[in-house]
Amino acid sequence: MSNPFREDLVSRNRPESCTVVIFGATGDLTHRKLVPALYNLAADGELPTGVQIIGFARRDWTDESFREGLEKLNKEVSRTGHDDAIWKSLASNISYHQSEFQDEDGYQRLAEKLDRIDQERGAKGNRLFYIASAPEYFDDILLNLKKAGLSQPNEQAAGCWSRVIVEKPFGTTLATAQHLNEVVNGTFEEKDTYRIDHYLGKETAQNIMVLRFANAIFEPLWNKEFIDHVQITCAEHLGMEGGRGGYYDTAGALRDMVQNHLLQLLSLVAMEPPTDLSADGVRDEKVKVLRSLRQWNTPELVAQNVVRAQYIGGTINGKEVPGYREEDRVNPESTTEAYVAVRCLIDTWRWSGVPFYVRVGKRLPKKATEISVHFKETPSVLFNALPGGVPDGNVLVIRIQPDEGISLRMNSKLPGTSLRMEPVKMDFHYATSFGKNSPEAYERLLLDAMAGDATLFARRDEVEEAWRFIDHIENAWHESEQPPEMAEFPAGSWGPREADDLLDRDGRAWRRL
Amino acid sequence: MREEMISTEGLGKKVEVSSIPLELKKLWEQDEASTNASLMNLLVYTEDPTKLSQNSSVIQDLTRDNACRAVLIAMDRDSDDVSIDSWITAHCHLTNGRKSVCSEQVSFLLKGKSLGRLRNTVFSNLNSDLPLVFWWQGELSDLFEERLYRLLNRLIIDSTSWQDPRKGYQLLNHARVESRGRLTIQDLAWTRSYHFRLALAGLCDDPIAQNNLNKIEQLQIIAQSNQKTSALLLMAWVAARLDWKLKDSDGNVFDFETKSGSSVHGALEFDDQGAPISQLRLQAADCQLDISRKRDSKYLSHSLQSKEHQIKVRGPADADDDQGLVASQLSRGGKNSLFLHILPVFEKILDSQYSA
Repeated sequence: MSNPFREDLVSRNRPESCTVVIFGATGDLTHRKLVPALYNLAADGELPTGVQIIGFARRDWTDESFREGLEKLNKEVSRTGHDDAIWKSLASNISYHQSEFQDEDGYQRLAEKLDRIDQERGAKGNRLFYIASAPEYFDDILLNLKKAGLSQPNEQAAGCWSRVIVEKPFGTTLATAQHLNEVVNGTFEEKDTYRIDHYLGKETAQNIMVLRFANAIFEPLWNKEFIDHVQITCAEHLGMEGGRGGYYDTAGALRDMVQNHLLQLLSLVAMEPPTDLSADGVRDEKVKVLRSLRQWNTPELVAQNVVRAQYIGGTINGKEVPGYREEDRVNPESTTEAYVAVRCLIDTWRWSGVPFYVRVGKRLPKKATEISVHFKETPSVLFNALPGGVPDGNVLVIRIQPDEGISLRMNSKLPGTSLRMEPVKMDFHYATSFGKNSPEAYERLLLDAMAGDATLFARRDEVEEAWRFIDHIENAWHESEQPPEMAEFPAGSWGPREADDLLDRDGRAWRRL
Repeated sequence: MREEMISTEGLGKKVEVSSIPLELKKLWEQDEASTNASLMNLLVYTEDPTKLSQNSSVIQDLTRDNACRAVLIAMDRDSDDVSIDSWITAHCHLTNGRKSVCSEQVSFLLKGKSLGRLRNTVFSNLNSDLPLVFWWQGELSDLFEERLYRLLNRLIIDSTSWQDPRKGYQLLNHARVESRGRLTIQDLAWTRSYHFRLALAGLCDDPIAQNNLNKIEQLQIIAQSNQKTSALLLMAWVAARLDWKLKDSDGNVFDFETKSGSSVHGALEFDDQGAPISQLRLQAADCQLDISRKRDSKYLSHSLQSKEHQIKVRGPADADDDQGLVASQLSRGGKNSLFLHILPVFEKILDSQYSA
């Protein structure tokens, strides 16, 4: 008998109770994001009854010290505040498992512990493994899970599952991503593999599909006939504070942000309507977009279509900040880009000739992620035939963060006897219209994984197609004899002149945020 | 009703009915720092004029999370005078600690008997295109008529405040049919048990609980005596989900029959010292599921006890006050399909309680 009380209770797939095992449990992600997300789900009554959390890490911690550390951080960062009674109830289901990631015995002990918990609680043995460790341990963890028999669901219990969530970076090149995919799929079935991209859990990213396919006014215009170009910007005012230079200098903006988050956003904007809202229905359409990206596969094409840059010293919010190569834990002779702008072309019937400009960078004037869809100008008759024409074309802006919302710029006549036009903006702010806080991306994604809904997770072919596009650019930068130059820009400005030139050559300009 | 009993505190500036649009415009023009936000028209109607001021406080809280054009209408049907007074104000809240987001409120005090005045007052003060959520407080009167409810998107009522819920539900059913299903009905008596239902669903994810669902022998609900409808709705939900049929009832004791023909004893008990709903218990021979709440507690205790194992968890409880319940309803939206699904069972239970 299934659970009849779940029917129609909430309009989402039903998450099932399970034991969540977090690898890399002593890290920041667990303390700042994952456990607070589970706490918030418990506080909202959304966490399935009986969910157990096991932290797996190398440090010599105890259950108590692990819980204490989690509680301290939860008090600081939880979206819903911290309620002692809810925490106590959640914490009674949290334990710590000390082991090296390479130690096979540690996984055997983990298997025994999981069986014991299932037995005590009469649970059927659902397991959700969350790999939040440093990427160099991914292989070890996955292989040892397989050896310990943990990657296969308990065959005795009907409907029992074993799933894995893998954090980014999912590879550093196409070859490493393919290798990791081989290891993951050699351990877990693809349907049980959840490659997390927390951008897809953000409310506004989810809203892109709603905006496009639940409103009759946009989709008829959503093609080369009416759209001039699209810009996707992810600006960050922070630099390498808090020691993040160590990782960032090995990755760079292209691998860290474009390969995953921004190409995912681009796919959502450019995809065809899916046949249904199933995970594969949506992901089939997204991967077609990635496959249709024109490849910049020579250094010359990369030089024409991609700009990379590092920031030099400058000022942000009245404070002097160092240049990229002077940042903490960054190689003083680094050739890693802290800014990248890419001109993408999607060779499909819908988007032929419509450029998608993508830019991401550190130490830009402000923190903002948004997608702007720039519509074509009106014909050169009537108002457009007047001296000066109309001030600006229509722009639909989808703000991903902060101040999530949607705005539409259009032209309006200024009041008065003469005919003058000014752009005006219709603006929708999530925070203004819906006063309540949106759930954190990790809350939604964890629930989806417990419910077996992979729609908001990247599939193997998506990841590999994205790497295929990125690899050509990385190769041109780092393998070719005459690599395209590294540009510079002062910290606190909107990027290098070369990035402006990239659009200027097409007769366009970056949107001012 | 005597004039001095009706407080107008918090209603804002008194204005002529004919100049409401102009006065609202002035209100927004005097403060450029504020954003006027609205997701819906939220209309609060009462036939108890002493509640007008209190409803304004409720709107002050509700607009924190639900930006709206609020229209408060209080009707004094016993008054000999025939008059209409109106006020305007705005409720402002800081969003993310910076932007001041405001919702406007128009309040009306309608005195005396005058046909069609409620309907007209509603229609002439709505923000066009935005959905109309109508919160009808107290008993449905003869003013709840077709030309009014056909234009509503959502109707919020609280059937626990009705003398005869059966009669009230007959009226609602008629309205739903007449509006061709466009009217979504949200009964706060149903909202009051949301977290109880969520908690029971959570406990029943457990395989032991699931295996025992077709072996339930007893169902017990304890509630305050003024929350009888909430308790009956909860009982109807359990019965509908488990496919039980009501065979007989005697006062607050119910005899259900399961699909396999076995009998389930249902009991409704009252405890006015407890929470509005203080306990939901399902008892099988080998398993007991309990969800309970102490008075004023913010939490529900969920427990599963069986020979094999026990589970004890704490989770959030439903709001006790009307504004909390309305906020909870507004935040979920939807067409209330589950509620519609259990209505036939609920109506049978109501018939057994109120037919005499």
